[in-house]
Amino acid sequence: MNFRTFAAFVGPSVFMMLLFIAFPLISVFKQSFYVTQPIYETVEVETCTPGFLTQTCVTETVSQPQLDEEGKVIMQTQYVGLESYRNVLEPERAWRAISEGSWNVLSTINFWKALRFTLTFTLITLPLVIVCGLGIAVLINNAAQAIKGPVIFISLLPFIITPVIGVLSVNWLFRGDGILTALLEWWLNRDIALFAQAWTIEVLMMLYRVWHVAPFAAIVFYAGLQTVNQDSLESAVIDGATRWQRMKYIVIPHLMPLIIFVSMIHLMDSYRVFEEIVGFASQGYVISLQWLTYDFLVPDQAGNRSISRASASAMLTMIGIAILLIFPLRRTWRDHKGGH
Amino acid sequence: MSSRALRQPLSLRLTSNIFLAFWCIVAIFPIFWITVMSFKSPVDAFDGNALNVIFGPATLANGKGISLLDIILGIGVIWGTIALVTKKMPGMIKAYSKEGQEWFGWVIGILAAVVAFLIVFFVILPAILSILNPLFGPLGRDILGLTTEHYKTVWIDRGFSNNFKNSLIVTTGVVVLSLSVGTLAGYGLARSGSTLAFWLLIVALIFRALPPSALVASYLPVFISSSEWLAPILGENAPTLYGKPFAVIAVLVAINQPFTIWMLRSFFQNIPAELDEAARVDGCNHFQAFRRVIMPVMWPGVITTGLFSFLLAYNDILVTSLLLDAQNQTMVPAIVGMFNRETTTTDQVVAVAAAVSITAPLIFLVLIFQRQIVSGLTAGAVKG
Amino acid sequence: MKLKTILMAGAMSIAASGTWAACSFENDVPLKSLSAGFEAWKAVTDAMAECGNFNASLDQEFREKQPEAFAASPSLYQIGGVSNTTLIPLLNAGTIRPLDDLVEKYGQNLLPNQLIKVDGKTMAIAMMVNAQHMMYRNDVLADLGIAEPATYDDVLAAAAKIKDAGVMEYPIGGTFKTGWNLGQEFINMYMGEGGSFFGDGNMPAINNEQGVKALETLKAMTDYMDPEYLVSDSTYVQQQFQQGKIAMANLWASRAAAMNDEAESQVVGKVTMSAAPMGSAAPATTIWWDGFVLASNMSDEEADAAFRVMLEGMDEEMVSANNDAAVWLNPAYKAGELAAGAAASAQAGAKAYPASGPMGIMHTALGNGLADFMTGAKDAQTTLADIEADYITAAKEAGLINN
Repeated sequence: MNFRTFAAFVGPSVFMMLLFIAFPLISVFKQSFYVTQPIYETVEVETCTPGFLTQTCVTETVSQPQLDEEGKVIMQTQYVGLESYRNVLEPERAWRAISEGSWNVLSTINFWKALRFTLTFTLITLPLVIVCGLGIAVLINNAAQAIKGPVIFISLLPFIITPVIGVLSVNWLFRGDGILTALLEWWLNRDIALFAQAWTIEVLMMLYRVWHVAPFAAIVFYAGLQTVNQDSLESAVIDGATRWQRMKYIVIPHLMPLIIFVSMIHLMDSYRVFEEIVGFASQGYVISLQWLTYDFLVPDQAGNRSISRASASAMLTMIGIAILLIFPLRRTWRDHKGGH
Repeated sequence: MSSRALRQPLSLRLTSNIFLAFWCIVAIFPIFWITVMSFKSPVDAFDGNALNVIFGPATLANGKGISLLDIILGIGVIWGTIALVTKKMPGMIKAYSKEGQEWFGWVIGILAAVVAFLIVFFVILPAILSILNPLFGPLGRDILGLTTEHYKTVWIDRGFSNNFKNSLIVTTGVVVLSLSVGTLAGYGLARSGSTLAFWLLIVALIFRALPPSALVASYLPVFISSSEWLAPILGENAPTLYGKPFAVIAVLVAINQPFTIWMLRSFFQNIPAELDEAARVDGCNHFQAFRRVIMPVMWPGVITTGLFSFLLAYNDILVTSLLLDAQNQTMVPAIVGMFNRETTTTDQVVAVAAAVSITAPLIFLVLIFQRQIVSGLTAGAVKG
Repeated sequence: MKLKTILMAGAMSIAASGTWAACSFENDVPLKSLSAGFEAWKAVTDAMAECGNFNASLDQEFREKQPEAFAASPSLYQIGGVSNTTLIPLLNAGTIRPLDDLVEKYGQNLLPNQLIKVDGKTMAIAMMVNAQHMMYRNDVLADLGIAEPATYDDVLAAAAKIKDAGVMEYPIGGTFKTGWNLGQEFINMYMGEGGSFFGDGNMPAINNEQGVKALETLKAMTDYMDPEYLVSDSTYVQQQFQQGKIAMANLWASRAAAMNDEAESQVVGKVTMSAAPMGSAAPATTIWWDGFVLASNMSDEEADAAFRVMLEGMDEEMVSANNDAAVWLNPAYKAGELAAGAAASAQAGAKAYPASGPMGIMHTALGNGLADFMTGAKDAQTTLADIEADYITAAKEAGLINN
């Protein structure tokens, strides 16, 4: 396929990605090195606000942004270099904590706290998703033909459900005296508060994520299992291979490309863990990198937002994902070169 | 298991089925539970005792309940619908629609099924039951507290049907556009061994990995002021992109592109290249080969990929909540708004009912396309 | 049967949109509003819609959208719903118009109390006030012979008594959800102690005795609270009250009506509203208001119509129909028992929330930083110092502090 035809085929897609992903990305990259802010002046203002019966008026000095002749706020943009990255990473504080060997202090610094959780979350859920997905796929494959359809249907439900709704429903089941907590309390015969300490919330988040993603893995693996070579399985049986050996030497190698595919998707998605934090209102205990970016980005009530730090934090998140993806990608490179 | 050699001992089959049953319960329980909650009065819905939530004594005390007979017939109708849709419908659609226009048959079929179900379940069935219940004595007496008032609140008083319509517009737009742009690019990438193609894929992958909130926030000021900066190009008619469904569709398609082209590329790679090469030998150029040879055989992969696009657009909250105003708002942000609003417990249950309402179409969709998803994946849409 | 009701409802809604019985004039200028989405706004915008040609966006992202949308030319929304804090960005950007001429023309029925004045110009019209105040279970306290708690020491003593008597395990409820809610609780306490937030040049000044005292009071309360307090917001506390699980809470006045809602509350008539507990200087609460602003980027005709529609939204008819939904600023409002707590707090000298640009950053820094103290990861001094450091970083980026 020559370049011109290739360009015609991928053109529309590339154009859309350029317009809506690459350009914003470049602006995010740029913003992480600049700070844009209004120029404030200090003025004395009398403000009257309602009390219950009468008004209260106060005169105070406030900072007000200067306006130009057209009544627009004058904004100044200045290059700050790596300042915003430093403000996100807080290297001095982190370094002091590390050199004192104080893990507790390090884990109260936002970025490192978020990084710790994001990595734990990603690396613990990854094997769980693969193993559960594989397990469910094998179970479905073993099931009688008549129940396969309904079981696949039920298995897909956790995957298709709107994530926000999924998180909320898990929230209701466990929060306060939610019925599953009540069930646990009754079973263990003790008072349980799952949202009162960090580790239970973390476990709950991971379980939710596995519940949500394992069906996707399962269905992909199930599809893969349909194409396992039956002859080699049978000859393995004749050679006296146990079930486990057949699984290990024939099925898993056959599924390897799919395992890598699922791992890659899962790495990307779980590194951006966000819905769980908001849905479980866990930010008092654990936060994630994506939540940190979001928190810098949402304006507070008076309209201030930390765009520069948000951009820096988004870039740092991206670098993290890129590093995690290097391993699975090397294989794709080989395949791509080998396939032609 | 066709072969004797692979037959499993009973004990293994038993444990395997027990585990499978356990997984099914885990998978379905949260969804089952919010469905139950949505039919109860607020006092019952948030009761700490599971049995109270299921049987709904407070709801029953308010005079809202259903009898054993209602339950049996209701389940019968639901089961009948499912059986009809999954067993009969594909055949009927094949029989009645023209070759190559089956998608149209599907649309008509699905619409008809939904309308028929709604009419039977909510109009005909209650009418029959109101006659039958008094006749059956104890069988016809209310035993289970259940009320549909929250659904009525959601769909009629809160105007949720408008959000539903908007969701429909956005998702349809995203699926159609995303697939048309994506299949072309996927095919191009699959058939090109150039280094450029590889790097394009890698860049797409990095785009897929981007944290979206940072990107989306930078759209807002640009979209709001678009009529000003588009004016030099488009003059008077320059649109304000903020609040327009088509703008949101474009954004969602772009965000979804990386995944779509990856999926479709690996799917096209599994269609033997000899197929279109043969067509090219017959004098077709690449586009004609694509249209004549590839298009007829690509549907399983396209349906699977389309379903993922559908899920992304349907479930999106980040883009839609920020870039659409209330008149064009889709369902998910509307529901989250309901939850975050200063709410009474009743409002919470209403929101739960809304949450169940938006899950229903998803379930319906999977019910119909389940077989296509599996076969699409099997056909190789996911070869690493 | 059911189909009939559905058809009836449909017919009625068509009939309702066809007439403007409840509105004194027929609006023919297309208008849109953008506001928060809570109950009171729903009531007000519904009343405004009766005038026709009006679309309301009750949007939870309004904080993000409002400054941008009002800065567009012409403004995407003519009418904005703001509170004392969300007024700040619009005021700063100069995208809202002074309303004095319109008030003179149409606003004869407005109370002087409703006019929000900045430098003598009316910039917004308030429609309601809100404040956190004490709600307690009169039956529980009376049974144990406890008097109405007036200070936080009283509250803690009463909680100990209730717990010891075995009536409730967690007698106190609190909106301690990490983020805005928790920040607000600290601000209440700190203002009750008479602290001020800023020194010269917007520098933070919370790391002091009053700050530590406020933190310690918050911490002392958590001993009597459900251990999941860091995730509990107003709706959750309200639910705990309704289910009879807690006996005391410092909760928003706008939540008072829910206590007596027969459909969902098990404690109807058993909850008394009283003043917010006193700190050493003032009641530990802040007074908030919600109201309207009009965009400056629109024609005078639009502004004229917008102002009239807005007045219709908060007229007597709406207030009497939704009397208990909020503490309305309107002569028709009947301050019943439900408003007693808010009124008593104001009487005792509760201050207005000190809304300003720096305060927005401070509130966020507090909301995010306090959790470390509540979970025991940091002591009070370190917590406050870290919050100040956080604030300084953000304020520098916003340009409020010069380097």
